[in-house]
Parts: sequence; C-alpha cells; structure tokens
Amino acid sequence: MGNHRDERDKSFYPDYLSEILAAIFLTIFTVFILAMVYAPSIDREINYVSAYHPKPEWYFLWIYQLIRYFPGGWAFVGTVLIPIVAAALFIGIPFVDRGTVRSGRAASFLFALLSVFFLVLTVVPLLWP
Amino acid sequence: MGRLFDWVDRRFSLSTPHKNFLQRGIPARLSYLYCLGGIAFTLVILLVLTGMMLSIYYVPSEAEAFQSVLRITREVRLGALIRGLHKWSANLLILFILLHTLRVFLHKAYRPPRELNWIAGAFTLVLTLSSGFTGYLLPWNQKAYWATVVSTNMVSTVPLIGRHLLYLVRGGPEIDGTTLVRFYSLHVLWLPLAMGLVLWAHFHMVKRQGISGGL
Repeated sequence: MGNHRDERDKSFYPDYLSEILAAIFLTIFTVFILAMVYAPSIDREINYVSAYHPKPEWYFLWIYQLIRYFPGGWAFVGTVLIPIVAAALFIGIPFVDRGTVRSGRAASFLFALLSVFFLVLTVVPLLWP
Repeated sequence: MGRLFDWVDRRFSLSTPHKNFLQRGIPARLSYLYCLGGIAFTLVILLVLTGMMLSIYYVPSEAEAFQSVLRITREVRLGALIRGLHKWSANLLILFILLHTLRVFLHKAYRPPRELNWIAGAFTLVLTLSSGFTGYLLPWNQKAYWATVVSTNMVSTVPLIGRHLLYLVRGGPEIDGTTLVRFYSLHVLWLPLAMGLVLWAHFHMVKRQGISGGL
C-alpha cells in the first residue's frame, strides 16, 4: 500500500512540506499568544493543615464528577471500574467494527456514547460546581 | 533541493536512504483535518523543548520545588514565558489528540489494517494524561498538593490491594518529597521515553500503511 504512486498524488517533499511548515508555524504562534496573554499562576505555598478540594484540570473533570456519584464503599466503581471499562471500550472500537453496516453502526454508537459520557461529565461540574 | 542542503547531503547522505519517505506520494486533495495529528506532534516537540529548559532551573525537592518555580517565573529571563508555553502546549495537546481521534473515527481510519495504530494512538492519550497528572504536582503549591492528595486517594479505593497501590504511588503513606521525586522521574524520564517509542510505532504504521483515503 504505502509507497504506491498515483498520477494525482503530490509528493511529500516539496509539495506538502510548505503546508506542513505553515501548520507548525501557526501552532507555535498560537501557543506563544496564549502563554503571553494567559500566564499560568504560581498559586501559594502548601497549607498542610486545612484540607482543600481543588478542581482538577479540565481533562480530569470527568473522573472528579464520577467520584461524586459513587461515595463511600462504592467509590472504586467511579475511580477505577468505570474508567477502565471506558478505556477498554475505546481501545476496542476497531474490533467492534468488522466492516459490515451493522457493526459499523455499533462502533459509531459506542464512539458517540463515550463522547457524550466524557462531554457531559466534563460540563456538569463546570455548570454546577 | 537547495544548494546548502545538497552540500550537506553529499557528505551526510540523508536523502538516499530516505528517498522513499521524502518522495512518497500523498493523495492530492487531503482535507485540512489531516493536520490535527501533526499539530499534536508539534505540541509534543514544544513540550520536550520547554521541559528541557525548565529542568535547568527546577529543583525536585520538598524544600526547594516551590521556590524554584517562583524563581523561574519571577527572576529567570523568559522563565515565565517558557513555563506558560509548557502549560499551554500540554493543554492544547490533549485537545488536539481528542480532535485527531474524532477525525480518525469519522474517516473510519481505524479499520483493518489500522487497528493497531488506533491502539497506539489510545496509548499516546493515556501517556499524555499521565504526564499531565504527574506534571501537575511539580510546582509543589497548594493546588498541586491537595489535588494529588485527592487523586492518589482514589487509588486506595481498589479492593484488596488499594492500600499497597497507594503506598506505591506515593512512595510512603503520605505525599512528601519521595512522591515529588517519583512524579518528577515519571514526568521527565519514563513517560517521555514511552511516548517516544509509541509515537515511533504510530508514525511507522502511518508510513507503511499509507494515509487512509477517508470515507
């Protein structure tokens, strides 16, 4: 597959290189702007005495929200079981879709389910802290 | 290729072994959505470079970590900028991995023979999240400390072996300098090395299997 050429193909060098360099430049530019406009805070020194529950970074909010749903003895369902099952389902997507229409739909359903799961659990703690 | 490049190439002989790579055909009308993975990789490179710079001034010890971050931010020339670049690259990296995943899914580019590459991609996401988790503790401030108390406590909820796992993650019963060094080691050595290996596999498969034609 990999190296076959087609009449309509472009070659990586130099046809695509310039477009790739433009994307790289834009990425670096955006990161610089964000870093200069929104510099990360230093926060303050640790106060070991009074317990404090900070909100995690946005990409861990979903786990943070799951913990709320499973208090006490059931905590491991939210902290370990559901995240592992979600990760396994995510990794398993190519094996659900076997190329048939039906299995393709099943894979789409699974991907949509995981996406909604992530988005809802991320948005809920933002709206109702 | 350019004159200077040719001069170096005659001595270094780069283009001959990589001819197939440099001259390989790429479908002429690729959507710009195919940039997402490349943008993520650009952010990885930025993270490695800014991380190497931060490591020159950062001190991974209980007594000095917070002070060293303070110094990087306030005294070191361009220190605050480098820290900002590192932090923003990390956040954008996760965002772009998710967008890239969405693109790959919609184009059904995980179908045979690309199943293994989907798995390699999933691993890069796990490694990125782990890097975000371990990196979060390093400034050794109020937020970092207590967030890590909460998140490492989660490990202890695992039935039967929870307490042992907690001890393993923290390097002791509490979060202290041992935990900090442990997280630092994972963040700057173990995880980036693993990331390098997985990304090599990821790109190798893209190269060998070619770019998926999409729908």
